[in-house]
Amino acid sequence: MLTPIAFYALSGLTLLSALAVVLHRNTVHSSLFLGLSLAGVAGLYAMLGADFLFAAQVMVYVSGVAVLVMFVVMLLGRASDLHLRQVNEYWLAALIVCAIASVGLFKVAAGFSGMYAPGPAAPTTRAIGGLLLGEDLVPFELISLVLIAALLGAVFFARGEEAEGGR
Amino acid sequence: MTLQNYLVVAALLFLIGVFGALTRRNIIGILMSIELMFNAANLNLAAFDRFLHPGGVAGQTLALFTIAVAAAEIVVGLALLLAIYRNTDTVYAEDFNLLKG
Repeated sequence: MLTPIAFYALSGLTLLSALAVVLHRNTVHSSLFLGLSLAGVAGLYAMLGADFLFAAQVMVYVSGVAVLVMFVVMLLGRASDLHLRQVNEYWLAALIVCAIASVGLFKVAAGFSGMYAPGPAAPTTRAIGGLLLGEDLVPFELISLVLIAALLGAVFFARGEEAEGGR
Repeated sequence: MTLQNYLVVAALLFLIGVFGALTRRNIIGILMSIELMFNAANLNLAAFDRFLHPGGVAGQTLALFTIAVAAAEIVVGLALLLAIYRNTDTVYAEDFNLLKG
């Protein structure tokens, strides 16, 4: 009874905000809608019973990536950008590509049409922790290396020329 | 809700991301569209995990790895963007022609 209402509300929020991200002329508004769209995806994770994924999505995407993008949007660009076209001249070709891809994607989705969830959702955080420190230990440690490399790379690329000369 | 509903929502989110990545002129807009595509893929992973693999968490763990890699990607992408902006003074992708010589 309540589940379809919640599902359609969260899907509508996600998809309409995603459309606003893609189509809005003002990049600051786009980045705000990005945060809203990612929050809608977090709600869909909660509906799927993925509680740890929900928490990770809120912490990493909604409060990390969206805020970071917002900072960069406000650092770059100028006021005259608001009067420029933000979409290039290939929008019709892109629309055709999306239409063709949608045929295949919807055909795959239609194959799963009468499939309901088996039983109620249960908390999964404990099982994820066991998997990360057991079977998936090597990828888990490699991810920390990737994050350190990203940190060093970000500092290296974002550092200005004058900071190099000052040393 | 059936698995089809979740797959359709994820497919639409992915297509919106593809359209944005192909048509936005602003490089930050392209990065935001790529984030939307990552989220569509993660949503599919979580949905398949819930409907086809009850009691298992392999799909959710894979989605967590995707989230970590996507966070690293956006951080390095934005840092590169700052460096490019310092050289070219523009945020529009068609003006990034530093390698033309």
